[in-house]
Amino acid sequence: MLPGKNSEERKPVDEVEIKLNINGNVTQVKTEASTTLLYMLRDDLGLTGTKDGCSSGDCGACVVMVDNKPVNSCMMLAPQAEGTTVITVEGLEKDDELHPLQRAFGETWAFQCGFCTPGMLISCYALLETNDDPSREEILTAIAGNFCRCTGYQGVVNAVQRAAAELRTKNEDTEKTDV
Amino acid sequence: MEEFNYLAPESFDQAVVAKSQHAEKSRVIAGGTDLLLRMRDKVVAPSVLIDLRHTSLDKILISNGVMILGTSASLSQILENSEITQHFPALQTACREFAGPPIRNRATLGGNIVNASPAADLVPPLMAYDASIVLRASGGDRALPLAEFFTGPGQSVIAPDEILMEIQIPLLPASSAATFIKLGQRRSMAISQVNLTARLSMNNSDCVTDARIALGAVAPTPVRAHSAEDALVGEKLSEDLIRMAAKKAREEITPISDVRASLEYRLEMTEVLVRRALIATWKKQRRTKTSG
Repeated sequence: MLPGKNSEERKPVDEVEIKLNINGNVTQVKTEASTTLLYMLRDDLGLTGTKDGCSSGDCGACVVMVDNKPVNSCMMLAPQAEGTTVITVEGLEKDDELHPLQRAFGETWAFQCGFCTPGMLISCYALLETNDDPSREEILTAIAGNFCRCTGYQGVVNAVQRAAAELRTKNEDTEKTDV
Repeated sequence: MEEFNYLAPESFDQAVVAKSQHAEKSRVIAGGTDLLLRMRDKVVAPSVLIDLRHTSLDKILISNGVMILGTSASLSQILENSEITQHFPALQTACREFAGPPIRNRATLGGNIVNASPAADLVPPLMAYDASIVLRASGGDRALPLAEFFTGPGQSVIAPDEILMEIQIPLLPASSAATFIKLGQRRSMAISQVNLTARLSMNNSDCVTDARIALGAVAPTPVRAHSAEDALVGEKLSEDLIRMAAKKAREEITPISDVRASLEYRLEMTEVLVRRALIATWKKQRRTKTSG
């Protein structure tokens, strides 16, 4: 893995072959057992949307969905993800259309530099999967593990509520056409 | 991070065999939220990692009046369990105030214990609820009260060939109530400056029949404030009595100054928080009585 990598003499590398579902695609990867899920995504698979902020589970820039739950991908070894279903920020858009949450982030200026955004989006996506009308307090709880050092959190709260409203309307429309 | 061999045994029995085979050279990994940090910082450098992910040790169930929590139950699982809400709410409060959602989805109950951090948030509620633990080695099982597990910061009685298998908490009579309080530098993602759980059982005349005060981050290990507990038992609860017990708790602890808080602040806040926790617990008792 990148952080802590050095030129000291090292023990023979334990290579592992991992099969998992990433953003809907069954993927096979060969990597070192000591690689984190974060660096497997970034270096082995080129999915650089997920960011490395603190490498210690504090900042949340690396949050991805693993089996329907947001987790810090820097705090998980690649082999621990064997057989799981992972969704990264790249997996949020469908048919070349941004997810309503991604659009709402842009529309409400929910970011400035954007570094925390991928993790922030995943935490908010996880919230909307289980709660289609979250309160401000519920949104703040959902993003308690995501740090923004530029603009703060109110824009994110606004974005999530806007996206939630849009998704509710969409669902109502689908229900109507279904009937 | 140093290189290691990664094992993911298909059963707990196989994990126990692997642990006895690799002993000191190995570490057990579950959530990994603490272990991976210490491996990255080279505080520990195991040559073998034994992952418990296939061992089905994440079950939470009640059997014969005892709640049994598998070592790899995640904090999120504990939060979502309605039987824990009913019987051990202070444990859930500790989980809710632990880090943030992504960490809670990975961090496990067993990990929080085995790390033997003096500041472990889940230990004071477990100690206040009289939890015991079961360690398994290929030679057999060993059960002990959780309070006897810790010997110092990061130190415990666990042997190199043992794995923490489960945590057992006896169900309590309805006359018992508990309160967890955590003091940190912010509401999320903070390591505790002081954390504690107070539990009281009382009879109908407000007399304390049983008391537990368990404290974290104020001594080399999580500790019980025994003299404060003794001061409460057998007495009729009053604000004066609570004030006196809180002072005794302050006298029993041996905190240090570190990056999170000074010794003096920890002493002062322990007295304040023990008082608050006892008063909150007393109020819960009254509510239970008037409603039931």
